[in-house]
Amino acid sequence: MRTAPSARRVDRVAAMGAAVALAGCTLLPFAEFRVNRIASGTAQPLGAAGVAGFALLALAAVALALAFAPPGRIRSLSMLLAGAALLAMTPWTLGEAAVRLQVGADSIARVSVGAGGWLAFVGGAIVWFAGSRGTSPGVRLFAALAVLAALVMSVSAGGVGQLSLAREYGGQAERFWTLVRQHFVLSGSGLGLGALIGIPLGVAASRNRAVRDATLAVVGVIQTVPSLALLGLLVAPLSAAGFRGIGATPAIIALTLYALLPIVRNTYVGLDGVSPAALDAGRGMGMSPMQLLLRVEAPLALPLVLEGLRAAAVMVIGIAAVTAFVGAGGLGILVFQGWGQQADDLTLLGAVPMVMLAVAADVSIRALAAVAVSPGIREVHQ
Amino acid sequence: MIRLEHVRKTYGDSVAVDDLSFEVPEGDVCVLIGPSGCGKTTTLRMINRLIESSGGLIEVQGRDITGVRPEQLRRHIGYVIQSVGLFPHLTVADNIATVPRLLGWDDARIKPRVSELLELVGLDPGEYARTYPRQLSGGEAQRVGVARALAADPPVLLMDEPFGAVDPLNRERLQAEFARIQRELRKTVIFVTHDVDEAIRLADRIALMRDGRLEQYDTPETLLDHPASKFVHDFMGADRALKRLGRVSVAKVMRTDLETARLSDAGDLDRSACGERRFVYLVDSLGDLRGWVDCLDLDAGHSAENAMTLIDWREASVRPDATLKEALSGMLGLGFRSIAVTDRGRLVGEVTLTAIEAIMNESDTHLADPVKPLEDGELPSRPTDARPDHPAGDPDA
Repeated sequence: MRTAPSARRVDRVAAMGAAVALAGCTLLPFAEFRVNRIASGTAQPLGAAGVAGFALLALAAVALALAFAPPGRIRSLSMLLAGAALLAMTPWTLGEAAVRLQVGADSIARVSVGAGGWLAFVGGAIVWFAGSRGTSPGVRLFAALAVLAALVMSVSAGGVGQLSLAREYGGQAERFWTLVRQHFVLSGSGLGLGALIGIPLGVAASRNRAVRDATLAVVGVIQTVPSLALLGLLVAPLSAAGFRGIGATPAIIALTLYALLPIVRNTYVGLDGVSPAALDAGRGMGMSPMQLLLRVEAPLALPLVLEGLRAAAVMVIGIAAVTAFVGAGGLGILVFQGWGQQADDLTLLGAVPMVMLAVAADVSIRALAAVAVSPGIREVHQ
Repeated sequence: MIRLEHVRKTYGDSVAVDDLSFEVPEGDVCVLIGPSGCGKTTTLRMINRLIESSGGLIEVQGRDITGVRPEQLRRHIGYVIQSVGLFPHLTVADNIATVPRLLGWDDARIKPRVSELLELVGLDPGEYARTYPRQLSGGEAQRVGVARALAADPPVLLMDEPFGAVDPLNRERLQAEFARIQRELRKTVIFVTHDVDEAIRLADRIALMRDGRLEQYDTPETLLDHPASKFVHDFMGADRALKRLGRVSVAKVMRTDLETARLSDAGDLDRSACGERRFVYLVDSLGDLRGWVDCLDLDAGHSAENAMTLIDWREASVRPDATLKEALSGMLGLGFRSIAVTDRGRLVGEVTLTAIEAIMNESDTHLADPVKPLEDGELPSRPTDARPDHPAGDPDA
């Protein structure tokens, strides 16, 4: 089954990714030049990056050709490499463009990423994904690390520091990292508490029908309350209980409540799906209820529990942005300030790391599942 | 030994099991049978306390089970269920090691035990130990289920329709293998089924239940020949003579002094090769059955080529551990009064209709004890030389 996608003659996913990258390189403005931080920009083609631009274009063309190459392990590996190269080359090329465009310009002039630049990056990610499907998990992990290393290298070596986003960062690096840390602590606390409360609730729900109905109903209702409204609703009861209605406390409570639904539901569904025959056999062989839970039910429910944690993590990282409104800090502050000042770079400085946090959480929980879930019940990956 | 005395199980006003008393002697197979809802599975599950009885006494190995913690009790009672219930996240080896681990055995003791059990149930440890349940066929899974139940060598085995979900061909093989294993291990077994043929084949004693009560508890022969009630008579079925053939294994009545010839020499056979027999069996250099020459055709003046039938042993022979019922069915299918007996292809004997008729005329006592029909010297799993002119019985391999 693993060979199915790569056995197809034309890899349509890779072809699409390469086409997106090519379109980004040729049809859309690759970068934008602005005379100052909040001025509107003028479109700059890929040629603004000079030789680097043509190298990127060639790379996208190679990726497209690979999609039509004879299927097999070699093609998958080559696509993996081409995707990784696109991912690393795009920021570097943007940096080159920034350096060249700012020669002779005012020092407050800025060069930011254009639609074409974003597309080239996204196309690279798609090609990388297409190539990764035909390779073993070990190779995939290695390739992911290689992309990361290449990205870091291209960022630290090239002219990426001249891009407006980087300059925005340069202006407030210290504050930026404080906010990243706050965001991480807020969403981590919400997820951790959510798991600490949600997993036992899910276990209880699988044991008792009344508990199940009540629990699932309550966490379901919580989920339907909009996040800003929930934060508002928490002010009064928290004040009454002697806490401050603003700051980190209401934020963490809200995030914990939102994390509950996917965790409780998936824990319950995972345990409920354990085959009655396995339970009967376990009991009949002399397992105590606790042994049955730890040795049979938990390992069998694990894939779904981890999936619930993954969904909760991604969601909580997103909602943590909103908690900036109650003074909990986090990257949401940069986004909202950016909007207020019409400073797109500031907005991006908040949004991009948030996306990266979410992707990192997603990837690491998936990796955990790949290691922790027994091969006997692992889904066969494409 | 298992003893039930006035055992009851009630759910509110409804009575599932009512005043049930019987005793299974050490090393015997007791088959609980009856229509759906008769209380047979409830009875089985009361013995390992998966269901608590509402009254009466249950003793396992001389101990009142209410005096033992349920977990402790169950670790010393093997348990096999129809849906097998292998743990999908554990390898075959780890599944089998479940009870030994619960009992705290160390790995040095568990590992050889797992291999031993896989061999016992006819699975190659090298091939199967590291596989996961989802890679097994239904028959293989239930073999592992039986191995898992036997892992800590419990004296008592409870089996709840263990072969009920397996296709008919595999079911008969599993029954034959269970009979062989039981002959070797002599566990005290309670076996629930709704299949009368299975009960007759495997039971030392059958407990026939109806509406939570015991209708009759006796040997299969007695149930067939002296049913205690019309219900027992009807439940056991009208084809009692045929059913009794399900009690006797082919190995017990097959004859091994056959006329055989190499397939390569078949063209040169003439009437003198036949002796007193109807068929000269043709085997290849490994001793595998490939066909036969019909001596009636030779008598009629046909050439050996024309009198020759080439067959696939899988379709035109029976195994030594098959029952006479299966052999008779095979004969009817082929349209002959005899059928070859092969052990994994190797020709080992022949069963004739005459021999089956003789058995049907014998008295019941000669037929008792179906799971131990072989005498000393015919012990299981002993490879014999594949000499086609002296086929030897090796009924269990």
